[in-house]
Amino acid sequence: MSFLVRLAFKNLFRHRLRTVVSIGAIAFSVMVVVFARGYVTGMVHSVTADHIQYNSGHIKIVQEEYYRQERLLPLNHSVDGLGEGGLDEMIGKLEELDGVNMVIPRLKFGAMVSTGDELLTLGGWGVNPELELAFTDIEDSLVEGRMIQPGRLEVVMGTKLLDKIDRRVGDKVTVVFNTAFNSLSGVTFEIVGRLKSGLKLLNEAVFLLPLDEAQRLLYMDDQVTELLLVTEDVGKIEEVLPKIKALLSEDGRYLALSYRETSDLIPFMDLAELIYNQVYFFLVVLACVIVVNTMIMIVAERTKEIGMMAALGLERRGIMELFLIEGGIMGVVGSLLGAMAGWLITSYFAEAGLDFTQAMAGIDADVPFNAIIYPSASLGNTVFAFLLGVVIVTLACLIPARRAANLEPTVAMRGA
Amino acid sequence: MALLELKGVTKVYQQGKIEVPALRGIDLTVEAGEFTTLFGPSGSGKTTLLNLVGCLDKPTGGTILFDGQDLAALSKKELAMIRREHIGFIFQSYNLIPVLTAYENVEFAIRLVNKHSDREIKDKVMGILAAVGLEGLENRRPNELSGGQKQRVAIARALVKEPKLVLADEPSANLDSKTSEEVLAVMAKMNRELGTTFIFSTHDPLVMDYARRLLEIRDGVITLDRRRDEAIVSH
Ligand SMILES: Nc1ncnc2c1ncn2[C@@H]1O[C@H](COP(=O)(O)OP(=O)(O)OP(=O)(O)O)[C@@H](O)[C@H]1O
Ligand SMILES: [Mg+2]
Repeated sequence: MSFLVRLAFKNLFRHRLRTVVSIGAIAFSVMVVVFARGYVTGMVHSVTADHIQYNSGHIKIVQEEYYRQERLLPLNHSVDGLGEGGLDEMIGKLEELDGVNMVIPRLKFGAMVSTGDELLTLGGWGVNPELELAFTDIEDSLVEGRMIQPGRLEVVMGTKLLDKIDRRVGDKVTVVFNTAFNSLSGVTFEIVGRLKSGLKLLNEAVFLLPLDEAQRLLYMDDQVTELLLVTEDVGKIEEVLPKIKALLSEDGRYLALSYRETSDLIPFMDLAELIYNQVYFFLVVLACVIVVNTMIMIVAERTKEIGMMAALGLERRGIMELFLIEGGIMGVVGSLLGAMAGWLITSYFAEAGLDFTQAMAGIDADVPFNAIIYPSASLGNTVFAFLLGVVIVTLACLIPARRAANLEPTVAMRGA
Repeated sequence: MALLELKGVTKVYQQGKIEVPALRGIDLTVEAGEFTTLFGPSGSGKTTLLNLVGCLDKPTGGTILFDGQDLAALSKKELAMIRREHIGFIFQSYNLIPVLTAYENVEFAIRLVNKHSDREIKDKVMGILAAVGLEGLENRRPNELSGGQKQRVAIARALVKEPKLVLADEPSANLDSKTSEEVLAVMAKMNRELGTTFIFSTHDPLVMDYARRLLEIRDGVITLDRRRDEAIVSH
């Protein structure tokens, strides 16, 4: 009955401040839901993306023995082909598999650089620059100079690392490392590029050099420490993995691991998302406490008026409707304002990012956790929070609405 | 057939463990078109009686026939339907909806009946507001009206659906004596013009002069029932 809708709407203007406070509470909670959800999603995306790009690819192939000692970066359990065939043949075979888009070889090794009065331990990554540029977003982090080129004694280093060793792009740096034959070797490189990243790993713990040079210097021709496979999309991993395992089984030394198996963080992130989803729910419920409390006050104040309506023949259902519409309007308006505000704030930080570099200073560089978090502003998320607000508020208003509907019509007759 | 027929009606309120007998055997017949005043001291049972004949509550004992229909047999929903279509209410404290205009307050009652077109509703509401003397004040909110005007809106609201019975519980208790008389005069006029049956309760002897039938109730029983041929007293 549109008359009830009109009346419910007008009722909202009886105590403007009260209505504004209720709507504000809903709006605030919905806004926080939009932002927090965008934030968590952004964080999960970033952790996942960094892990995939700089650690595991979609599927990582390493020697079983290497995987066990990975932190030590051993050179004697390398990926060097299947059986009698060489590395190139192995890469070729992998690339031919359905669903595999890219095979990225990396040769990781331990190294040291002198700052003048102490030695820094680092990771050296021999990489194929073209493939790295295609697969990772390292180009965004490359704030000065250029990427390394094959066949040259060049390195790219992080900003913090350069600070520590007091070098600039264009300077030379001497790196000391153990070769595959366990002989000590020192080589001087030219620094051609500088990285600046929220990832501690890129910023201070590793440097990049051309794969072919790394292989030559370490005496590891035709060998890498790992191969990263990129599939058409993450959903395809489970499909592709068995085929790869089958291919690798002819050799027996290798493991193929999906990115989920190699991350300690991602399972936690999934759990966090689940927990947060409940937190959002309770956050909105909390705002509802304010709304319901206000509505209960309203019902108490309007007892005689409700009795009058009942006396005039408005049925239980009509009275419930009246209050549900009244609460529903607050729910819609509040949720809409909150969703819009949340969207704006999230969009702003999605561009600007939230920088936690200071807070994360003490965290190990191995943890692939980006210190700059970019919340993800998605329409789905905003609509979700809006609907959550509307539905929960309207449902909560069932409490005062039932109270109103249960009033006896005789209350209308009670003395003034 | 009488509009109302009460036989041995009793009402006992339960207040915790104490039983409060509010009505103790009421026998009463009200014919259509009567203009009846119910008077008696505070606590005598006036409101209780109006609640029962107004289908707002059910008696503890006895029978009430409304237009020949036994109310005891009806569900809450059916009682609500009778109220909606056949009974108008006027309350002591006006009980208008403050956010609605005089027009909309009256419209509320007829919208509930839900069997008229928008055009008819408009005509009926405007007509009844003019009849109670509120022409030109249709768009005022209750807080922009005097006490007497508010009660006229309430009378219009009670009458707009052309009910068989209008019940008013101390309709003039909040008004000064001059305004009380005006309001009573409006009710009497509507009774004459539309033939609507009125029952109203009061404490006020002045107001009683308007009645054509006087009912006195004391301690839940009717102690006096007097009809007068010429009711309207001119001042
Ligand atoms: N809901 C109730 N619960 C318990 N007792 C009630 C209830 N309503 C009325 N009573 C009692 O019933 C008796 C009759 O009350 P009622 O309200 O009908 O009197 P009244 O004549 O309308 O009085 P007043 O002139 O003060 O309005 C009183 O003793 C009153 O205390
Ligand atoms: Mg009373």
